[in-house]
Amino acid sequence: MPPAIHPIDLVDILRRHHLTPAIVFLTSRRGCDEAIDAFINTSASVSASHSEAIRTFLDQFAKDFPSIANHPLIPVVQDYGVAAHHAGHLPSWKMAIEELMRQGLLDAVFATTTLAAGVDFPARTVVISQSSVRKSQDFCDLTVSEIQQLAGRGGRRGKDFVGFVVVTPSPFIDLDILGKGLTGQPESIDSQFVISYPMVLNLLRAHSVDQIEGLLAKSFAQFQLNQRVTVHQERLDDLHEQLQPYGPRECADWVAQWKVFDLARRRKAHRRPIVTNDSPYLTACLPFLTPGRLIGLAKGPAIILRQYRSRGTGTPMLSVLHGKGTVGECQAQRVVHVYDHVYDFHPTRTVPWCLPSTLHQFKQALAQLPAHPPTVPIFEASPEADDPLLSEVLTEEFSCPSCPSYTACKKDFSLASRLRLKEQQVTKTIQALRDGLWHRFQQKADVLHKFGYITAGFQLTADGEWARMIRINHSLLITELIRMDAFSGIAPEMLAGVMASIAHDDDRPSSYMRLTSGLSSMLGKVRQVADSLRAYEPPPLLRSDVAALAEQWIGQPQLNWASLVRSTSMAEGDVYRLLARTLEFLSQIHTLKGTHPGLADTAHLAMGNMRREVLAELP
Amino acid sequence: MNDDDLNRELQRLPIKYLHQLAKGRISRHFRLGKRRLIECMLGLPQEHKMALATSLANLSLPTRESVVNSPTPPPPSPGESPSPFYSKPTARTSHHTQGPSSPPIQLPELLEGIGVPSPMPFVPDEWQREAVEALAHADVIVSVPTGSGKTFVAIEAIKQAMAANQTVIYTSPLKALSNTKYMEFSHRFGPDLVGILTGDRRDNIHAPLLIMTTEILRNVLYDAASGEIDLRLHTLGLVILDESQYLADPERGVVWEETLILCPSQTRLLLLSASIGNPQELAEWLTSIRETPCRLIRHTKRSVPLRGLYLHPTGQLVPLFEARDIQQKKGYRFHPETKRLFNEYEVKPFR
Repeated sequence: MPPAIHPIDLVDILRRHHLTPAIVFLTSRRGCDEAIDAFINTSASVSASHSEAIRTFLDQFAKDFPSIANHPLIPVVQDYGVAAHHAGHLPSWKMAIEELMRQGLLDAVFATTTLAAGVDFPARTVVISQSSVRKSQDFCDLTVSEIQQLAGRGGRRGKDFVGFVVVTPSPFIDLDILGKGLTGQPESIDSQFVISYPMVLNLLRAHSVDQIEGLLAKSFAQFQLNQRVTVHQERLDDLHEQLQPYGPRECADWVAQWKVFDLARRRKAHRRPIVTNDSPYLTACLPFLTPGRLIGLAKGPAIILRQYRSRGTGTPMLSVLHGKGTVGECQAQRVVHVYDHVYDFHPTRTVPWCLPSTLHQFKQALAQLPAHPPTVPIFEASPEADDPLLSEVLTEEFSCPSCPSYTACKKDFSLASRLRLKEQQVTKTIQALRDGLWHRFQQKADVLHKFGYITAGFQLTADGEWARMIRINHSLLITELIRMDAFSGIAPEMLAGVMASIAHDDDRPSSYMRLTSGLSSMLGKVRQVADSLRAYEPPPLLRSDVAALAEQWIGQPQLNWASLVRSTSMAEGDVYRLLARTLEFLSQIHTLKGTHPGLADTAHLAMGNMRREVLAELP
Repeated sequence: MNDDDLNRELQRLPIKYLHQLAKGRISRHFRLGKRRLIECMLGLPQEHKMALATSLANLSLPTRESVVNSPTPPPPSPGESPSPFYSKPTARTSHHTQGPSSPPIQLPELLEGIGVPSPMPFVPDEWQREAVEALAHADVIVSVPTGSGKTFVAIEAIKQAMAANQTVIYTSPLKALSNTKYMEFSHRFGPDLVGILTGDRRDNIHAPLLIMTTEILRNVLYDAASGEIDLRLHTLGLVILDESQYLADPERGVVWEETLILCPSQTRLLLLSASIGNPQELAEWLTSIRETPCRLIRHTKRSVPLRGLYLHPTGQLVPLFEARDIQQKKGYRFHPETKRLFNEYEVKPFR
């Protein structure tokens, strides 16, 4: 038994049960392509008239979209009535497939799950063979909404009495996810509000700061946060009610109370200290016994090279350089004097724990030592827990002995303090939920102020005025590059290359094309800038191969689409999307014609060169 | 047996038996598909091929005759099983349903009613009329299953707004969808009345119906707020946001929110969305931030009923659930036959 049903068998069964046309959802693009390839040279072909109808349609379609005229998949589609549909294909080809499907000329379309969200064409049957989908690097289970999106393509209104979902197992399928997905309630949607730099600039351009606070309060994000606030508010009211009997009492001893609480809080915040057998004197000494410190041992003065604990008993140990010039080990408790002098020291990881030159200097220094160098006074820490006030707090007892309400409070202290703590927490949570968005807005505004796009009074500067026109991802990187004149006198193809590498955020591997030296040094510069902005904006991938691809397409007007695609291992659809996105980025730069006429012209030139053949077909 | 005969015999075999035959003869045969397997077998030396033919003859094929199909089998009627080889599941299912417990659905019953309805004049559903009418005095959110006819609502709303001499903006999340809709609407309303805006191109932007992606609309609204605009925003009467469930998209969802917040107050909103869990919440939000109230149109019933089937890799087709139609929120019970087959598959999928 093969792991999953063979595509030919699948289509055969669907045809025999009158379940065509069908959409077969597969995990990967490759799966779709292989399914189609499996049909070549088999007997699963469609009738001649059917084939003819497909051919006529495709010919007709090719008049509007010449890029599909010689598509390599045309023979398979017209002979076998099946097609693949995924993001690796050109949009025009996908549209042709969709239109064929709408007209009922295809029996099966093998598609990746991206289709479910992307386009809208129904079929009689939907075949699902997996319960998970690849998202970025990982496989995730399909959500209920996703499964219903897939299944929803089954059954065409007005063309079918019933639609079908066919589940066919493949390895790693989980049938229950599909069962739940087909019959369950779709997930709730949550706001994904993020504040971006262009948003801040554009809002500040048109609105005052107060108005913006109002606008942010109108967002769905805030609406959902407010709903959470109401839940917390209820809890808070509840707490208030519970606190009622403990009432506001006059507390006269608030200074002592505050001190003790603060101390207790700090003590409790720490983890349990590591238990050592060190004497209090030794514990007080240890912070001073650092490498480079001059100490006095019974034998004479020495310099510490490293401090460590012995593996067995855990006693603190020192590696020292003795006065006579030998390196040795000794226990830290053998230290007699801690002198008030530290030598410059660069520790190394191996014996003798410092550079030989340093060792040499130390030897000389030890030889010329005065008789009694000044020592460091060591004070033993007095244990705080001995404080009677604190010991009471630490045992969860109530403590303000000098307070007049002492007896009243003492009874219910533990409960009341717990309630009060909870009240504080809830109040804080509510504050955070209410102001979170506004704070994030201010953070972004602060960054923009730091870079000089807005003034301290939230007014756009001259730079901010044009920077707000760049409303794409990595806008800060692009505007910074423009501000530092990185693009002055750049050739159109180079600009397009840089934009392509900024725009492309897909890490699907592809071939490495040769970069021109100009572009590669340019990309190096961009990478530097992107890294320096890392704290404010996640840097783009800046792949050099896509930059080279875009540069070739724009720099060589005689290059045709087919040879461009042949020069890379990227799928045709990916190349198209890359260039379309680059076009979008360039057009944003083109909007800066008022302030940066030279750059805008270059962008315009690049756009003009770019829009040819396939890229000119669709608006 | 010469090569041609052997080829024909092998072609008729299900791939399972081909793998049986190939065992020990072709290395890594399990990686190969049917075509490649047969090619490899025919490429074997002559004496090996003789042995192959013998074992082919000895191969115990209980349903040997059924495998022998004419190249294009006559399409059987849905109730009837097409060939003995494939009839197994049907037979078993019927055997199973003779049990005393509540009878699960049988395959023929499930496959009943496949067909094409005769063309009828289109009668809009109740909810579709309701949605269009509600637009006169409220914003509308439509949350219905995929394929219920949301586009019809959009078209009626566009007609209504155009008749009132208003501008309509239609947004979709993807460029591909915009293009499809542009072609569809140009066809329906006439190319003069439809314009499209993309990141780098503006066609016919003074048309009463404009199609764009949501990002572009957001940018337009930004520009309008700062007073530099070449679109007729004061006559903007209706904004249609298709696939509004994108509001929850981690990367782009914020654009939908911004658009909704910045939309001029005289404009009506029509949000078309697939089934989502909390459309009520969305409607409450819109009501709270806009001057006009927001009306929610939602239902979960599909206009075309959906049924589930389970197809085993051996080619057995059985019902997926015990009930006939897939229904929402009623829970589910897998068909016993599906459970049996799937357990078999899970235990030894690679046998």
